[in-house]
This record gives sequence, structure tokens and C-alpha cells, in this order.
Amino acid sequence: MSTQLDLKQIERRAFRSTYQDGLWDVYFGLIVISMAMFMFRPVGGYSPVNMILALSGFGLSYMIFWLGEKIIILPRMGQVKFGEARKKRKLTLMVILGAVVLIQVGFVLFQVFAWLTPNVRESLNGILLDRRLMDLVVAAIGALFIGPSMMLIAYFKDFPRGYFIAVMIALAVFLMLYLNRPVYPDYYRSADRPAQPGAVRAFPAEISAAARGVAS
Amino acid sequence: MSTPAKNATLSSLAEVDRLIHEPARLAVIALLYVVESADFIFLMNQTGLTWGNLSAHMSKLEEAGYIEVVKTFKGKRPNTMLRLTQAGRVAFQTYRQKMKRVLDGLPE
Repeated sequence: MSTQLDLKQIERRAFRSTYQDGLWDVYFGLIVISMAMFMFRPVGGYSPVNMILALSGFGLSYMIFWLGEKIIILPRMGQVKFGEARKKRKLTLMVILGAVVLIQVGFVLFQVFAWLTPNVRESLNGILLDRRLMDLVVAAIGALFIGPSMMLIAYFKDFPRGYFIAVMIALAVFLMLYLNRPVYPDYYRSADRPAQPGAVRAFPAEISAAARGVAS
Repeated sequence: MSTPAKNATLSSLAEVDRLIHEPARLAVIALLYVVESADFIFLMNQTGLTWGNLSAHMSKLEEAGYIEVVKTFKGKRPNTMLRLTQAGRVAFQTYRQKMKRVLDGLPE
């Protein structure tokens, strides 16, 4: 084993020791709990209240993470600043995640544009006529947004448990979207069934009506 | 290996920086070499040294100009940050080269 390799191992061991506290695991867990509790509630629909509660949950999760690190972890584990290589990895991660977020925003905007443009909407309806296929596609896209992003974090932060967390989160999002189908609430599926009290429709009424027409 | 070559290897061993060669200090310097800076508690956790032991080694390395020690307060808690100086970095690189030469020169 070369001397260079030993130094790399020392650096890697020191870096990975900063994850031994398990605080990142708690943080990701709290984010998933916030999503599960507030963001995707099939009964309440896609309401602004749910969104505000979900965002509050994210904020609270970060606050717990930040306070835990400041009050409990750093005084006991100590603090360290890593070298240039780690800083470059961090910067690369930020750039790539920023690009991923931009792609996601672009995708959402494209969806809105598609549903508001009759020609594109008809084309999409033609492709995704089978509702089960549409549910599957929506769930797969949701999982593909979350899973690879988390894997990128795991890779660039040299956080091996992150890969496992990425798979679990991607699976959770896939099942959540596929089984609950919150983006297309019940009124989309059944024309007779009224929207739940307090629920806000994801799309304008005419789009929902058009979607119902295709589904029936 | 011929006798003059063996003698050369042994004389190289005698030239090794003894301040760095001590195992506890070697652990501290190796760790500081791969990071930008670290605080006292982090070094204690990583090296397994006690408070007094690390403090004594830290003082020796600081006197030699190999490390820079910055003492501050975070709130009411004292915080001691350690960083390898350029002289320390060069000394460690020289130490590595010498040790490599010595160990590579030894027969199997």
C-alpha cells in the first residue's frame, strides 16, 4: 500500500467521521416525514395549507439539524475544515443540483404550458390515454427527480449511506405518487365525486373537465 | 545490498526529523496535512490521544513552527484551531521522502 493511499485513507476516514453522528439521516428522515404528513395528502388534495405545512416541516427539520449540530455535535465531535479537493466537490455538487432544480422547474413549467395549450394537451392525452400508464409515468418521473438528486448528494459528499437513503426515498416517492395519485385527485378519476372541502384544484376547471372527458 | 549502500540507508534514517517521527506527533501532522484546519477536540477524537498528551505534542510542534495554533472563544467555550504551517508541510513532505527511501532500500 503506498504512502499516498494511506494519506487518502486518513483524509477519507476523517471526512466520513463527520457523518457518524447520524444527524444527516435524521434530517432526511424528517424531510420525508414532512412530505408524507403534509405535502401529498390525497384526502386534502393539493391545498396551499398543505404546502405551507410541508414547507414549515422542511424549515423545522433544518432547524433541528442546525441546532443539533451546533449544540450537541460540534462541542463533542470537534470541527474541521477540509482541503481544496473537498471544496471543489462541494461546488460541483451545488452546480449540478442547481441544474437539476432548473430542469425540474422547466419540466413543471412545460407541464403547465402543455395542459394550457390545446394542441399539446391533445397530443399528450393521445400518448397517455391509459390512466394506469399515466399514473405510472407520473410516479416514475417523481422518483427520478428525487432518487438521482439524492444519489448525487451521496456521491459528492462521500456519504455511503446516502445511496441507500436515495433508493428508499425514490421508492417512497414512487409508491406515494402511484398509490395515492395526489397530482390528479379523486375528482379527476370520478366525475360524480365532489372535491373534498378545502381542497384546491391543481388545474383550472376547464382542464379538469377536459381530463375527465378523456378518462371517461 | 552492498555495505556502503546499507550504510547510506542507515545514515538517512538518522537524518529523519525526530520531531515528526514520534508516533503521536506523526498522527497529528498527517491529519493536519490532509485537512485545512481542525480543532483540538476533532484531533483528540481522530488520534485517540488524551487532552494532556495532545496538548504537550501540540506545544512542541508549535515551538518548531510546524503548526499554527489559534485560540478563540465560541460563545463562552474556548476553541483551539490547529493548522499546518508551510514549514510544517515541507517538513512532513521531506520526512515522507526520507522514510520512503529508507524503507525502500531495506531488503525483503
